[in-house]
Amino acid sequence: MLNHWIIAPVLLPAVLAALSLFAGRNAAGRVLSLLGTFGLLAIAIHLLCTASGAEPQVYRLGDWPAPFGITLVLDRLSALMLLLTASLASLVLIQAIATGWDQRGQRFHALWLFQLMGLNGAFLTGDAFNLFVFFEVLLIASYGLMTHGGTGPRIRAGLQYIAINLVGSTLFLFALATIYAVTGTLNMADLAVKLPQLPQGDHALMRVAAILLMLVFAIKGALVPLHFWLPGTYAAAAGVVAALFAVMTKVGAYAALRFGTMVFPEGLSVTEGLIGPLLLPAGLITLGIGAIGILGARGLPQIAASATLMSMGTVFTAMSGFTPATTAATLYYVIHSTFAGAALFLIADLARARGAEVLASKAPLPGRLAALFMAAAIASAGLPPLSGFPAKLMVLQSQPSTLVWAVILLGTFLAILGLSRAGTALFWKPEGKAAKLPLREAFAPAALIAALIGLTILAGPITAWLAETAQSLHNPTPYIEAHDLPGGAQ
Amino acid sequence: MSPALIAVLPFLGALVAAGLGRFGRNATTLGAMLATGLALVGLISHAPAILAGQGISASFNWLPAAGLTASFRIDGLALLFAGLILGIGLLILLYARFYLNPQENFPRFIASLMAFQGAMIGIVLSDNILLLLIFWELTSLTSFLLIGWWSNLAAGRQGARMALAVTGGGGLALIAGMLILGQIAGSYELSQILTQGALIQSSPLYPVALVLILLGAFTKSAQFPFHFWLPHAMAAPTPVSAYLHSATMVKAGIYLMARLWPALAGTPEWTTIVATAGLITMFLGAVIALFKDDLKAILAYSTVSHLGLITFLLGLGTKAAATAALLHILVHASFKAALFMLAGIVDHATHTRDIRALGGLRHLMPLTFGLAAVTALSMAGIPPLNGFVSKEAMLENAATGGLAMALIATLAALFSVAYSLRLLAGTFLGPKPHDSHAHDPGPGLWLAPALLTALVIASGLMPMLVFGPLVDAAASATTQEAIHSHLALWHGLQTPALWMSLAALGGGYALYAATPRLRRIWDSTPRPEAKPIFEAIINAIAKAAQRLTEALHNGRLSRSLFAAVATILALGLYAFTTGTHAPGLRESLPLQAAPIIGWLILSAAALATVRNHHNRVLALLLTGIVGIMISAAFAWASAPDLALTQITVEVATILLMLLALNFLPAETPRDSRPLRRARDAILATAAGLGTGILSYALMLRDPAFPRISDFHWAQSKPGAGGTNAVNTIIVDFRGYDTYGEIIVLGVAALVIFALAASVLSSKTAITRLRGLKLAKNAGDPHPLMLVVASRFLMPLIILVGVFIFLRGHNLPGGGFVAGLTVSIAILLVYIASGFVWAEKRLRFAHQSMIGAGVLIATATGLVAWAMGWPFLTSGYRYLELWPLDKIELTTAALFDLGVFLCVFGAVMLALSTLSRLAQHTADREKPKA
Amino acid sequence: MELFFALTIGLLTAVGTYLMLRLRSFPVILGLTFLSYAVNLFLFTAGRLKTAAAPIVGTTEAPSDPLPQALVLTAIVISFGMTAVMVMMALGSYLELGHDRTDAKTGTPEDQA
Repeated sequence: MLNHWIIAPVLLPAVLAALSLFAGRNAAGRVLSLLGTFGLLAIAIHLLCTASGAEPQVYRLGDWPAPFGITLVLDRLSALMLLLTASLASLVLIQAIATGWDQRGQRFHALWLFQLMGLNGAFLTGDAFNLFVFFEVLLIASYGLMTHGGTGPRIRAGLQYIAINLVGSTLFLFALATIYAVTGTLNMADLAVKLPQLPQGDHALMRVAAILLMLVFAIKGALVPLHFWLPGTYAAAAGVVAALFAVMTKVGAYAALRFGTMVFPEGLSVTEGLIGPLLLPAGLITLGIGAIGILGARGLPQIAASATLMSMGTVFTAMSGFTPATTAATLYYVIHSTFAGAALFLIADLARARGAEVLASKAPLPGRLAALFMAAAIASAGLPPLSGFPAKLMVLQSQPSTLVWAVILLGTFLAILGLSRAGTALFWKPEGKAAKLPLREAFAPAALIAALIGLTILAGPITAWLAETAQSLHNPTPYIEAHDLPGGAQ
Repeated sequence: MSPALIAVLPFLGALVAAGLGRFGRNATTLGAMLATGLALVGLISHAPAILAGQGISASFNWLPAAGLTASFRIDGLALLFAGLILGIGLLILLYARFYLNPQENFPRFIASLMAFQGAMIGIVLSDNILLLLIFWELTSLTSFLLIGWWSNLAAGRQGARMALAVTGGGGLALIAGMLILGQIAGSYELSQILTQGALIQSSPLYPVALVLILLGAFTKSAQFPFHFWLPHAMAAPTPVSAYLHSATMVKAGIYLMARLWPALAGTPEWTTIVATAGLITMFLGAVIALFKDDLKAILAYSTVSHLGLITFLLGLGTKAAATAALLHILVHASFKAALFMLAGIVDHATHTRDIRALGGLRHLMPLTFGLAAVTALSMAGIPPLNGFVSKEAMLENAATGGLAMALIATLAALFSVAYSLRLLAGTFLGPKPHDSHAHDPGPGLWLAPALLTALVIASGLMPMLVFGPLVDAAASATTQEAIHSHLALWHGLQTPALWMSLAALGGGYALYAATPRLRRIWDSTPRPEAKPIFEAIINAIAKAAQRLTEALHNGRLSRSLFAAVATILALGLYAFTTGTHAPGLRESLPLQAAPIIGWLILSAAALATVRNHHNRVLALLLTGIVGIMISAAFAWASAPDLALTQITVEVATILLMLLALNFLPAETPRDSRPLRRARDAILATAAGLGTGILSYALMLRDPAFPRISDFHWAQSKPGAGGTNAVNTIIVDFRGYDTYGEIIVLGVAALVIFALAASVLSSKTAITRLRGLKLAKNAGDPHPLMLVVASRFLMPLIILVGVFIFLRGHNLPGGGFVAGLTVSIAILLVYIASGFVWAEKRLRFAHQSMIGAGVLIATATGLVAWAMGWPFLTSGYRYLELWPLDKIELTTAALFDLGVFLCVFGAVMLALSTLSRLAQHTADREKPKA
Repeated sequence: MELFFALTIGLLTAVGTYLMLRLRSFPVILGLTFLSYAVNLFLFTAGRLKTAAAPIVGTTEAPSDPLPQALVLTAIVISFGMTAVMVMMALGSYLELGHDRTDAKTGTPEDQA
């Protein structure tokens, strides 16, 4: 039974974005954007339900058999990422409209929808080259969003962002070309089948391809030393954009996880010792640099950007174990850090809009904002009672190594120091009374916090679901078999 | 009442208090007191069973994957602590109602206090150590808000941050310790862990777990060397201090040590660390307390000292000592909470807490004096008050530990006597102050300390009756053995404790009398001050963090790219050298003259570009030559489609860049040093070697498996209906890639458009544009020949474009190249005739064109849905069923139309954007024909 | 001939990398253009070299590999779009800031050498 819903997350935003180009002004854009984003939310929920109850489903574009045509694959992980994206986007869009950010430049809504299209396409595709194409879609849209309503410094930050990503795209092509030259295929499931049979003499070249590919994902995921682009970019972008970008870095994590569990799994002789052992130190250093950055930041946007670094370091640290337990912990942490990071950026933006550009600013800030900040800070530092704490517990339990524990806990300590200094400096002012934070502007950050609370309370069922998802990732046979590859899956 | 409900009630109380805020302070207080009272009633209802040795549990699944359950259990120890927390909590609420200024945000205060109370109750009721951790960190967070309540005062902010840093940081160590403990014991349930003492203590990880857990406990309970945060937490409003530092926050660490006593205590490590730290803290706190002048500071250091006392007793590891510790927990809470409240009353009445400014208040505030006298004497350990009972018990246990221990303990007791006397005398004795209007407060403030004072007396006179059963139950729960203690004021003359006590009393009085003299010595001895040291350390760390962050993330693109390239090369090399490589077996193509000449031209142009990159136009032309030679290489190597695309893209790129360059100065300044250039050149050479060698290795080998493109070739005509396999791949086999690709192009144009709009809305940019003279930069902009040629050529090139479009499916060409070709025609007109002229005459709805392109491509793909096929299934196959299918118009051609529109619209949008910029430049007024 | 293609790819990569590491936006754009030349050629050679064998049905029996060609087409188009955006960004940055340095902090001594 052909399930056209699988491609809907790509087509719906594309069509609505195209339609919005006919409309002159922003009002129509808003309607289409809301329609698209909430439509995606509904579709993502539907797909998640579908994926939970069934084996992975393959959608063959152009009706060509795999691996010759391009496939989309709906499995639990892709459905999860779709839902994460759609739910984040829904809340952030509300904020963009509530704060009027969408009106501060041209074509916000078209870019927004194309951005979502690119993200969704990347999560769904089962083809390595198509992954590249959708990386480009999401990147090009992100260039527009990043510089949205921009003045000089933001545009220059955009220039840096685009330059490093062009290097990433070039690298991606080098990797894909090598993969194709060695194996003759581009389909991810097909690669998973073929790599174990790769002749010894091809191993070295394939290893180069594998490491280049992982480096592409590391650039996206801002892993040290490929992270230099992130702090400036995220801090310079509009808050709502940076909040949406909380899921952009996760694309790198998603791709690394997908390839690391299916195409280059543990135990594959070709990529022996290449993925996990390198991800771990890089993840730890990223975590540390992010934590130090939180303490050393001069402004709230910089803190939020450093927190993003720290969370990506944690994601990759957790992921590097590549066991079902670490993967489940990684996924839970990914969900948590996406919402927490987005909340921090939205709050930073609200503070910035009230004149608190730097921590030393004297601008009085509303009490509601202080409460929101405290919640977001608790979440970002991974303290109870929010979901960062169970996430941290699971990461620590799944990676029982002194070094990992020491870095994570010391990082948390630095984050506590940094966030408490920032909070007291910004919100505990000797004098001054701020105007109340309007409810409509507080809604989205509050809803993100509420999502974190939900994630905490429902941690049991959610982690059970994620554990099953992790199991399916580490046993990709159903994913591969759904492709009906010629000769059958081995 | 379920233990879980008891744990939740304070949090509900917080919500209720916040909600009742608008109905005034009484309603808020009553709401909170109701919740606390209910919880207390629930607790007491279990008391008979618990005192009989039972435990009451309730458990809910939460996060089984991590071993985190919401399980609660009340046993004797929990009963003792929960009773303290709730009982004193009630009194504090009452006191706070009358203490806080009307201007304060009372509902928020009470809500924070209740949240804190909930966190404390959670700690002592948790039966799962991970759950305990959650409440543990929650106390740090909620106390942060309470300590920093007066956030307008620097002391408040600093005190709050310090408390959070120390206790929160200790909490992190505790996380690690608890996880290790749970892993040793095989369970995170306390009721399991407590039965595994032998197993835990024999584990090689025991010392690690012990140290980490003790770090948590010591930081929370302000044990040496982490004692320094506590006195600064006194910046909080007095009700908070009274609560946090008598019965709750600081007792959490004590609770933890008592709780884990059966699992951890009794080893030499335990005794050495815990008893020593406790003894030092007890002594140190008492000494410092003697020389403080702020009432609350004296009480704070006294608290430190008494916490040390309790820790010391727990550290001894004997049952008798543990029992004494539990007794002292109750005793200390009772007199210390009262004393804090009384200090607050004095502060309220006199507006000072400085003991040097106070004195003689017994004349003005007799009631306060009476209460303070009883509680302070209890603190000093004077019979028949309860402080005497527990101090005796402490000394008795200390006496068993050797002479040194006994001596230090006695000395500590001696100092307590002295500072208690000083506190009392300094505040209340002496002559009546002249101009003071201080008077006793209303019952709202004195009722709570009075009740506690009554308890101090009652439990001193009848310790067995008042505290006995509770202490026994708690001690039994702590030691996991039935304990029947004998609490009494009088143990007989044979006990060494009596003599030690007497020595302390006598010595204490002498010390008190000698305080002024000692004070001078004290003041003249340099001592490390904790707060400035702490602040300096934290500031240094923060400064270092800032320096590191800013040195690392200095915003340099060149650094970012250098790091990326170097990492890629290093890891690529690593990956290659750690794998097996067999050289390829493919034969090279024979050398040919023409391509080698092309190669020479390309190489020369590329190198010349490096040399001349400062001259923009020249560099661009050289780049164009490289692009054209690459196009030739494609043509030579059997890729006509690529050759065609490369050359059109090249032309379009160069033209667009030439147009854009009009806005930039013609020369790039040289601004890198030779060293840097050499470094970059080395890296660049390495990168070149890397890709060159990699491609050479790949070209000379065959793929390990059959290529998927064999299928495309075989199916191009029969399956996709086109003879040009490249085109069938693009519009059919991998049409979805193309779908993404045209969207990239369309979005690129939108980004350009939006960017230009942003730029044009900025004053600086407009001013700068106004200053530009395009004509000057680009030489003669509109040579007549070019103008004529371009306008003549335009229709011709457009025709070529249509042709290329139509033949694409079978021969090289297609929508993309066609779109670009037509765009180039119009680009030429722009260049030849100027932006303004062209923009006036060539008007397209560019954005709509992009939209239409995407929509057409999507719609083409969607047609397949109607036939039950997946998206983008080419019409070729099902249109064959149609009787009229003689003309070879596949749906793929329609898809290609979408591509065409998108490409054309995108290039045009970019162009018109540039021309909008041009219209703001200096020569905007005089468009040339 | 493979050697010459490899040399070209290497040279283009080296030139691209060097230019990309300059401090002004124009050479950076040029450098990225060169890198995309390099990678397009690299991707193309992943299909191995073959002369006079364009993959058009009916003209040859053993064609050059059409798939990398199609992929390069996509890559060319995408990098065209990316380059255009980057040019506009460089332009915008220049117009707003009055200089074309790519680094966020200006006026530091190292840059002025």
